[in-house]
Amino acid sequence: MRFHRSLLCLAVAAASVVPATAFARIKLITLPVRERVEIQLDNPNATLVEEERIVPLVRGVNQVDFSWANTQIDPGTIVFRVVGGAAKADAKAEAKATDPLDVKVLSVSYPPNEASLVWQVSSNGSGGARVRISYLLGNMNKSFNYRATASNDEKTLVLSEYMRIQNLANESFGSSGLWAGFGPRFLKPIGINETKEMLVEKFAEVPVKKTYTCDPQAHGYLDRPQNKLMVPMHYVLTNNKANRLGAAPLQYGKVRIFQEDGHGGTAFIGEDWGKFTPLDDEMRLYVGVAQDIVVRRTIDKNEVHRIAGNLYNREVVVKYEIENFKDKAAVLDVSENVRAIRNEVAGDTGRDVQWELDKATTFDGGPDKEKSTFEQLLYHVSLPARGADGKADKIVHKLHLLIKNEW
Amino acid sequence: MRTTHIFTMAIVASCLVATAAKAENVDLSTVPNRNTVQLTIYNSEDLTLVRETRKVSFKPGANPLQFSWANTLIDPSSVELRFLTHGDKLSVLDTTFPHAKPQMLYWNVQSELDGEATIEISYFTAGIGWSADYVCIADADEAKVGIEGFVRVTNNSGEDYEDAQVRLVVGRINLVQKIAELARITPQQVAELEDSAKARFRGDALRKAMDASLAVSSAGAMAPAAAPQGRAEAPKEVAKEGLGEYFIYTIEGTETIRAGWSKRMRSLEAEAVPMKIQYRYRPAEYGEQLVRMVLLTNDKESKLDTTPLPDGTVRLFRRNGRDGLTYLTAQPIKYVPIGDKFELNLGVDPEVIFDLVKLRTSRDELWMLVNGANIYRRVDRAGVQIEVNSTVAGWDDRATFAQRVRNYTKKPIDLEIRRTLPGHVVFRSELPVKNHDFQTVQYTANVKPGEKANLLYETVQRQGYNAKQNNVTIERAAIAP
Repeated sequence: MRFHRSLLCLAVAAASVVPATAFARIKLITLPVRERVEIQLDNPNATLVEEERIVPLVRGVNQVDFSWANTQIDPGTIVFRVVGGAAKADAKAEAKATDPLDVKVLSVSYPPNEASLVWQVSSNGSGGARVRISYLLGNMNKSFNYRATASNDEKTLVLSEYMRIQNLANESFGSSGLWAGFGPRFLKPIGINETKEMLVEKFAEVPVKKTYTCDPQAHGYLDRPQNKLMVPMHYVLTNNKANRLGAAPLQYGKVRIFQEDGHGGTAFIGEDWGKFTPLDDEMRLYVGVAQDIVVRRTIDKNEVHRIAGNLYNREVVVKYEIENFKDKAAVLDVSENVRAIRNEVAGDTGRDVQWELDKATTFDGGPDKEKSTFEQLLYHVSLPARGADGKADKIVHKLHLLIKNEW
Repeated sequence: MRTTHIFTMAIVASCLVATAAKAENVDLSTVPNRNTVQLTIYNSEDLTLVRETRKVSFKPGANPLQFSWANTLIDPSSVELRFLTHGDKLSVLDTTFPHAKPQMLYWNVQSELDGEATIEISYFTAGIGWSADYVCIADADEAKVGIEGFVRVTNNSGEDYEDAQVRLVVGRINLVQKIAELARITPQQVAELEDSAKARFRGDALRKAMDASLAVSSAGAMAPAAAPQGRAEAPKEVAKEGLGEYFIYTIEGTETIRAGWSKRMRSLEAEAVPMKIQYRYRPAEYGEQLVRMVLLTNDKESKLDTTPLPDGTVRLFRRNGRDGLTYLTAQPIKYVPIGDKFELNLGVDPEVIFDLVKLRTSRDELWMLVNGANIYRRVDRAGVQIEVNSTVAGWDDRATFAQRVRNYTKKPIDLEIRRTLPGHVVFRSELPVKNHDFQTVQYTANVKPGEKANLLYETVQRQGYNAKQNNVTIERAAIAP
């Protein structure tokens, strides 16, 4: 470690001193170097640095200075601990192992207008004490990013998760332990203003679900006058062991997606921000718009049936005309928000929608029970590949809603 | 070390009378040193009571004493002189604040003594403060935590205090004027203050209060404990004792705190303090998120119960099982009386997933108000003719919710969830639920490691004509998923 560049400095007064004379101008100091550094990155909002130094102490009261010029250390977070390993230098050799130094911190003094502090440390003998100094360090930032390489048939992908550390803390650290709170611990040096990227996890053969979704509320229309809905294509990864992930929550970060081109190379097919994904949750990555799946959405029916006074039920039929111009069969997710439909045909009353599915609904199997809620409906529609003549079958589905007790 | 004292106390040798306090241009003075100094520092106000003693030689007759405090933050109205020895032979005839010399006064002391006496000068100063902070290191399994408490004294008063006995007052006192403001005005302005008498009354009261504790604390705390042979000198003990509404920490021995410096000393230490983890959803307190809380109690079991915990910042770490620490949180706590609990919010735990899903909604109990008449008719009542000319006046909104909790930690977790439901509401569930207040319900659950809990409940919100109350009532009922 190049100590001369270090802005963090630990100095120990070599003479036994008492607090009243601790601040004399003439003093002899030793400069213990860092023996070990651990940079803990497991807290999402703070970086904890722990450094160990062997501090030579003499019997009596010692002064240990710690200074941190031009670095953003929170002085309130500095913790000084003796971690053992110290032995009396003046003890007999055979007694060393069983006769460690008894070291105690008496007080800490903070000089005015300086980024430093002075520990008054008492020791019952002379020798080296292994101490650990912990502090929160600002401007040491971490982020995560991913590289996903899908197989040519888009059934699996290889997901690599990288941690990137940017050291703007104005302090260089020699070979330091780096740990994100999960995955492996790295032992790397990181210099001032350096950025270091490390592979945290690599997941192979991760099943990928390719989804096409139309959702007028979430994704809108591709062509509003033609009533053509936008159909984004997503890669969906499930963060569990069954899907060869599930080691830890997936951190928020950019995912760059490539696809094997079948000729030994890869092509970049899109990127998206991967949200923080807890275990068992899905990471949905928006890859691009699927223009070969065409969905036209129209409202075929909007009728009011009075119950009494201003109280009525409303019948609404939403029609979907779907064509798949792809060479492959696909599954289309049709998602609708019932409240948005009511607002579309009758305006917003501010009340939740009480609704029932009526007889003209054509979606097979009913809405997805896991992912549908009191107002959000999700259906899965199987689409055959286009025919050999290049023509696509037009599949028509209807969503027939009885919206009840409105006024 | 500073080479000049900002404070000076001088015995002026000129021949003086009370009305002509000193010679104009030619002076001779002697400067008695401080023998002892005691600082009583309050953390709720910028206030420190300083008592210093000096040995002074008096001659029979008038003895002028000059006391000055240039560039400090002393309240001139608070400066007092007492004779600790030979009080029966010494008396202050008058006190003069010279117009031309701010931050100075003269005492005209009448003496029947020809010899040395010990005097005590006391005053209030601003610029010295203290604060508490706590470093807590939890075990890796978060069952026990070691707690170290510290006090940090900061001296921005402009004066070095060497070898001072330091006492720290925990509690909130009442001040009618800020000491720092009083320190910035001249003694003449102080004398003109309408409420100067009140200020003195306040000072007297404080001194009396502190005197009552001094007899107890100084006897035990001033003598440093001898370190046993072969052991490191121990950190100084901090004696703690109650005094009325306050608590006083007396730091063993004396401390030197130079102007501009601050000094931090350990005030308490407790090992293996039991800690409890609870997951809470309380939007009014912690926002719209499930947070992980550490619950601690300042009681006998925790070994902290010897003193209230002063306001301060708590920094919590956990041993990470890899020979290091994990930083968890830093947050302020308010004063914790003996026996009371204190809590630390660790924020959202990424290993516990907390979702509220509304499963279904419906409306019933619909009532119509016939227009032009004060008549209400229920819509679904058999045989009742509903007027065409009527409007909806009352109804019940029903909603079924699933509170989904997934626990990916390695331990079972305790949940406590509060939901505020304004209006006239019925809360129906089989969960262990109770009213926290008239419009808030609180339910609890224990979720095992790896479990995915589905906590079901239904709310019935009575609206319009149906709303007769503004509260939540709880009904025990099974709710279908």
